[in-house]
Amino acid sequence: MNLSITDILFRPDAFFGTMMNEKESLKIPALIVLAGSIVAAAYGYLIGGLTAKMMASTVPGIETIITISTIGGALVGTFIFWILWAGIIYALSFAFKGLGSFSRMLQVVGYGYLPQILGSVITLIAATQYIPKITVPTLSSAAMQDPAMIEQTMKAFMHDPAMLELTQITSLITIVFLLWSANIWIFGAKHARQLSPRDSALCVGIPVVLYVLYLIYNIGVM
Amino acid sequence: MKIDQPFAIICLLLLISIVPGIACGYATPESIVAAGKVYISGIDYDPGSFFTGDTGTVTVYVTNGNSNQSVVVNHATIGDTYIRLKSNPYDSSANIGPLQTRTFVFSVAADALEGTYYPTFSLSFRDADSLYYRLVTKVDNTPLELTVVDKPDAYTQDKKKTVYMQVANPRNNMVKNVILDLSGDGADFSPSRVFVGNLGPGEKIPVNFSVTPNKVTPLKLTLNYDNGDNPHRVSMELPVIFGTDKKAANPVISNVQVKNEAGIWHVTGDVNNAGLETANTVMVTSLPPAIPQDPYKVYVVGALKTDDFGSFEVTLTAENTDTIPIKLSYKDADGNVYDSIQDVKISPAAITARNSTSGLPVIPITIGIALLVLFVGGWILYLKRNKK
Repeated sequence: MNLSITDILFRPDAFFGTMMNEKESLKIPALIVLAGSIVAAAYGYLIGGLTAKMMASTVPGIETIITISTIGGALVGTFIFWILWAGIIYALSFAFKGLGSFSRMLQVVGYGYLPQILGSVITLIAATQYIPKITVPTLSSAAMQDPAMIEQTMKAFMHDPAMLELTQITSLITIVFLLWSANIWIFGAKHARQLSPRDSALCVGIPVVLYVLYLIYNIGVM
Repeated sequence: MKIDQPFAIICLLLLISIVPGIACGYATPESIVAAGKVYISGIDYDPGSFFTGDTGTVTVYVTNGNSNQSVVVNHATIGDTYIRLKSNPYDSSANIGPLQTRTFVFSVAADALEGTYYPTFSLSFRDADSLYYRLVTKVDNTPLELTVVDKPDAYTQDKKKTVYMQVANPRNNMVKNVILDLSGDGADFSPSRVFVGNLGPGEKIPVNFSVTPNKVTPLKLTLNYDNGDNPHRVSMELPVIFGTDKKAANPVISNVQVKNEAGIWHVTGDVNNAGLETANTVMVTSLPPAIPQDPYKVYVVGALKTDDFGSFEVTLTAENTDTIPIKLSYKDADGNVYDSIQDVKISPAAITARNSTSGLPVIPITIGIALLVLFVGGWILYLKRNKK
């Protein structure tokens, strides 16, 4: 395949048109998703560190557990989301009589994850700037017995001004790069499931728009 | 025995010359009248009044009131049983010219108990009888008064306190070289010696000193003074007892509010002086684990009088803690620094409270919606063009 990264990002139609003539391979998409998951894990490590700090005095060793679970969650979660997005688009394409294998769909969605790596890197940079400014409330052992206190503390943590700003910035970056990914996915789905541009746009656009609206709602309710 | 003739003649002439001299020592009416015009024009005592056992001087001024005749005196003395003469009497002849005054100074010792005594001054004239004059001399054993005007209710170890004293002279004569000496085991004085100087009859003078005790000890105050040239002293002891000064300033922190802005905790509140003395240079700051931050690492409230209050604000950061110690310090009138520490709870609710007023984040939502509209609109446009 004689196509570059810039083709995926800026000429996805041509990229996937050429790719369809070649044998299915999930190697490169998996590497792209892996790269995304590593950056996400780094971000998860930073945010998990804050949560660990909040609960440090409640249970001995909980910091390690929280840190490991946030890193693991980010690593695995990215792959789950990859499959989830591919599954949703694949499922919706049935409504438009789409043809083509799920692995091909996984392949195009995997390539479409490329912008989100950039987004994750920018998010990580923003996190390194904001996290030192975040004031982390601490939960005592006694407070851990009180669900209301835990809820109040978590709310306080999420409502820290620096945390709020970081969350808003992260959400906006996610929206920007998710829409970029969606753009790639539309062309990918068109080729992978042999759909018209309109049908493909609907298959990808509906879940993506709903997810973006959810992200915007989250910004509003924080 | 053969007498040398020239020697006999000389002796005879000498005898002849003595005869008129003897004749001149006799009282004449004129000399008696002249002696009658001699009077005591003044008496000085040093000291003005004596303590029992004191020595001093009595100066008698004798004036010849004759305007054109001298008088000759040949003996002067003073004293009685109680006011004893210590110096020799005047035994040589002396001439007091017309309208002249001659001074007779006597050293005396007051061996008497307290009271008024009347020693007699006698002056013998060569050509008349003697002059006798009764002096009035007082023996007064009243010492100087050393009184405490104001002192701390209680002392604090290694804290300087001021004691306000007064030195008064109830005697009817001036005393000299009044010096207050201060001493005490385990106590530092400033100053340790106070020079007052001369103190006239009925006068009083304030004397202040500062004491820094490092243990419970009596303070010894000794007032030294000279009555004439006789040293005397008055002593006093002041007990030093450590305890709580009932009148001390008592700044209290109240109305404490905590909020968090951009990761910086702002602790605000009031400081009320619930004591009876002024709290000077009241300062508020935070202690570890909190880290003071600008703009209010330390807040200087200033001087707080009784029942007065002032507001404060300190800014800090704190991690892994839900309480932060706030230190309040002030100085008393002597510059001693007193500290008190009060824990302030920094609850998550403080952060929530601040952000509950933040409102809807309009800008991020607008940007998010704009991005979405741009994406959907772009695709609709693309599809329309593609359809054509």
